[in-house]
Amino acid sequence: MSPLEPAELSSQRQHELQHTPLHAWHVASGAKMADFAGWEMPIEFPLGTVSEHRSVRAGCGLFDVSHMGLLSIEGQQAVAELNQLLTNDLDRLADRDVQYTLLCDELGGVVDDMLATRLAADRILLVPNAANSVAVFALLQSSLPDATVVDMSADWGLIAVQGPGARSALSGIGLDSEIKYMTATTADYQGREIIISRTGYTGEQGYEVLVPRSLTQQLWEQLLDQPGTTPCGLGARDTLRTEMGYPLHGQDIGASIDPLTAGLSWAVAWETDFRGRNKLQQLRAEGPKHRLCGVLLQGRGVPRPGMKVLRDGEPIGVVTSGTFSPSLRQGIAIALLDPRIQIGDEVDLDVRGRAVQAVVTKPPFVDASPR
Amino acid sequence: MNPEELKYTAEHEWLKESDGKIRFGITHFAQDALGDIVFVDLPEVGDTITAGKPCGEVESTKSVSDVYAPVSGEVLARNDALLDTPEMINTDPYGEGWLLDVAMGGDAMDTLDASGYESHTSQI
Repeated sequence: MSPLEPAELSSQRQHELQHTPLHAWHVASGAKMADFAGWEMPIEFPLGTVSEHRSVRAGCGLFDVSHMGLLSIEGQQAVAELNQLLTNDLDRLADRDVQYTLLCDELGGVVDDMLATRLAADRILLVPNAANSVAVFALLQSSLPDATVVDMSADWGLIAVQGPGARSALSGIGLDSEIKYMTATTADYQGREIIISRTGYTGEQGYEVLVPRSLTQQLWEQLLDQPGTTPCGLGARDTLRTEMGYPLHGQDIGASIDPLTAGLSWAVAWETDFRGRNKLQQLRAEGPKHRLCGVLLQGRGVPRPGMKVLRDGEPIGVVTSGTFSPSLRQGIAIALLDPRIQIGDEVDLDVRGRAVQAVVTKPPFVDASPR
Repeated sequence: MNPEELKYTAEHEWLKESDGKIRFGITHFAQDALGDIVFVDLPEVGDTITAGKPCGEVESTKSVSDVYAPVSGEVLARNDALLDTPEMINTDPYGEGWLLDVAMGGDAMDTLDASGYESHTSQI
């Protein structure tokens, strides 16, 4: 046995890692902690990834996602200027609407994907990934001459409340959660304003709650006192999002995997200007050279990033995200495939030299809906 | 935590001798480090395994690890229940979660007693 993989050994290099407001709570609860994007984060609690995953599909899971960035873009021209950068169209938003959008580079690669919330006609809130928050902040600061860009990441916690029991967990502590998917509302919590969004990364009905850093642990503990809520780590967050086929920046999208290749053209508003538009229009005319698809294993094995997808022994793609699906009890993958490969095609996955039968699918892999 | 009557390898397998065979599995420490185990690959009954060489794989949601044969010899029995319920390695690593029975008499890896293994894992 060699159970300690390099990724886990990195948890022993704790010196420069950042901590969320719940870090001490996680450690005290016996969570396995590891380095994630420069943050020491809980990978799983003592219950374990598979049970945590199931609790989100059947009940309510709580995730500390305070490591994610939080940027406020303010000013009369802020929305118009920001809309010249992001792929989606902010003009489609009314106040308190939330939108999935992408920030690309000039070559059409994805700098980051994020949720944008229109708080007011002159204020947008962005939640970029932890690993990219500093870069996105710097880029916006230098690209939005008439807007004020504020990095609020250090002052706020973010708790994801996910699963069919999410609504009753929030209403159980007196928080109004009667809002539509992809909208947000504000609420009073202990005399401070918090922002509740009907959003998530699990495929279940759920919420993401922005709460001042000093109140994060109180809210977390209050939610955990509600019946049927379970603390969940980033391990379950990854298996849940992979079952839905949601892309993870740095694996399924990034500098070398553009939005069209990733099947995210629904988040690209061609009628607006945005960074990388010319290059992406060219790619659109040529047709993408690869396509991100789902791969469902028929045989035994767990796909991992970097594994080859084969047809008739010839490589036709590579896995970008792979895991064991706790819902299906099968291996599932997101893979970058030759565009000639069709949904339903039979392929093989090269699992350390062993060819495992698989079929190409269109995610989600499970019957779940966040709406 | 680690039963006194078992022997242990530095690679986190446990061994037990009885009735001319050696039963082995992975330790509590190993299953805890791996997390939820979802697939197990083991040699067939009748195959020969070689001490110190990989003889199978244990895969969790997080990662895959080789199982190193603690002894050389013929596989006499395999815990086929693990093919459908690999999580038994998590819940009962020293009992229901055993991996293989191997014929005695072949080469063996160096082993530790329970307290020696305890101090080995405390240094990791």
